[in-house]
Amino acid sequence: MLKVSNLNTYYGESHVLRNVSVSVAQGEVVVMLGPNGHGKSTLLKSICGLVDQTEGRITYKDGDINGLATDKIVNLGITYIAENRELFPHMTVLENLKLGAYSKNARAHEKENLEWVFDLFPRLVDRKKQFASTMSGGEARMLAVARGLMSNADFLCVDEPSLGLQPSLRHEIFSIIRQINNQGKTVLLVEQNIPQIAQLADKIYVMEEGKISFEGNKDEALNNEHLKEVFLGM
Amino acid sequence: MGFDEDTILLLYEITDVIIAGLSIGSVYALMAVGMTLVYGVTKAFNFAYGDFFNMGGYFAWILIFGLGFQFGGYLGVLVIVMPLMFAVGYGLEKLMVAPLRKRADWENKVMMLTLGLALFLTSLYTVVFGARMKSLPPIWDGVLEVGQLVFAYQDIMIFIMSLGGILLFGWLLNNTRLGMAVRAVAQNPIGAKIVGIPQERIFAATFAISTVMVGFGGILLSQKWFINPNSGSTIMVKAWVVTAFGGMGSIRGGLYAAFIIGMLEAFVGWMFGMSYSIIALFILLLATLTLRPQGLMGKGE
Repeated sequence: MLKVSNLNTYYGESHVLRNVSVSVAQGEVVVMLGPNGHGKSTLLKSICGLVDQTEGRITYKDGDINGLATDKIVNLGITYIAENRELFPHMTVLENLKLGAYSKNARAHEKENLEWVFDLFPRLVDRKKQFASTMSGGEARMLAVARGLMSNADFLCVDEPSLGLQPSLRHEIFSIIRQINNQGKTVLLVEQNIPQIAQLADKIYVMEEGKISFEGNKDEALNNEHLKEVFLGM
Repeated sequence: MGFDEDTILLLYEITDVIIAGLSIGSVYALMAVGMTLVYGVTKAFNFAYGDFFNMGGYFAWILIFGLGFQFGGYLGVLVIVMPLMFAVGYGLEKLMVAPLRKRADWENKVMMLTLGLALFLTSLYTVVFGARMKSLPPIWDGVLEVGQLVFAYQDIMIFIMSLGGILLFGWLLNNTRLGMAVRAVAQNPIGAKIVGIPQERIFAATFAISTVMVGFGGILLSQKWFINPNSGSTIMVKAWVVTAFGGMGSIRGGLYAAFIIGMLEAFVGWMFGMSYSIIALFILLLATLTLRPQGLMGKGE
């Protein structure tokens, strides 16, 4: 469904991603692990057109999307759920969600998607009229995921959804991601070192210093001594 | 009653001054909102803002006196001039500001470019319309007499129309897709990008909306005052003082500031003469920048 080949990304002078190749098939949950600051987020941002200097091929459903503006990419059905949430602080939860359905592709499905995300996150229903800036970290994270889902995307780029969450909320978020996946959405997810997430994954990549240092399925990852020690905390 | 005649006369005069302050303040509010909107959303400062004030006035003048247009009175004029102002604003943003945005230090480049545009427009107006003052006919001639109080309909209309303009703008901002997108970009540009809002288009639309607002202000005030090729710079100064006093990027601050400054101008003008009002403005600006640099309601750094 999504194929990244030999991607190089730069921030000004610094060369962040080095010949990264990743592929995600329809219906999969692919997890990218790796230490902080080694380029995982940059990969997601490159896919979503949020970084200017990218070289290489990124194809989605057989169309080249590298170099497209983010609004075009969103309209094709890819959404980015940001690590630092990027909500609209002085707008209500409902307004944030409605803006999530801004793209042409999402507009027609706004109503049904709104019902769907309220189903997934019942807590947001009570918070509908609350300003995003007044929400707790966990709620804001839920809102960020819900807003992403409002885009009607088939392909979700989820950036460290568990960051800063207590274990119970972390668990809730992961179980929601599993639900979303069961409903047919493809997920590319980035995490630092959460063992639970490995359980969700159809495929695991590890990124170190801007390069892919491991690629394999769950069992291979769980049997890999280096990974066990460094990333899965076992 | 207990008032002697002098006191009553003074009260009448003060009422007059208040009405003048309100009507001018409301137009300033309209223009300050437009200016602060562009700054809040695009982070660019438009030095040619004042010259779009003249442009609105001149477009209306061309229609009314140049082409003898008289369908639907001022409403007809607005229906033609406002979309025209929108198109001018949109086109200029796309043509002049947007290409700079990708470069380093673009904010300063935009300032220099719009300053150049302001000079160009002033010269263009001089060539086309001559340096002489032009004025537009009042929307509604005559006066309203309440007892011994006399209100010019024109002042009342200016107040109602600019207030209407501000309310309409507020409604658009809160209830339309474009308005939501504009607020989204102002609050979080990255978030706006993520949800798929085409930022370039929103920047241009914002610029265009502000052009419409100041152009509308131009049509309103050209009935009360006059327009000449240089009125833009005076208006620019005033809109800037109002915006800085209210707090850059804060729409509500701009509204309060506009009425305070409208009143200040009216009262200083009444007590010391009109030429002192601009001095009062600068004293206010200096005091603001010294004591509270972020303005009345600005967020500060």
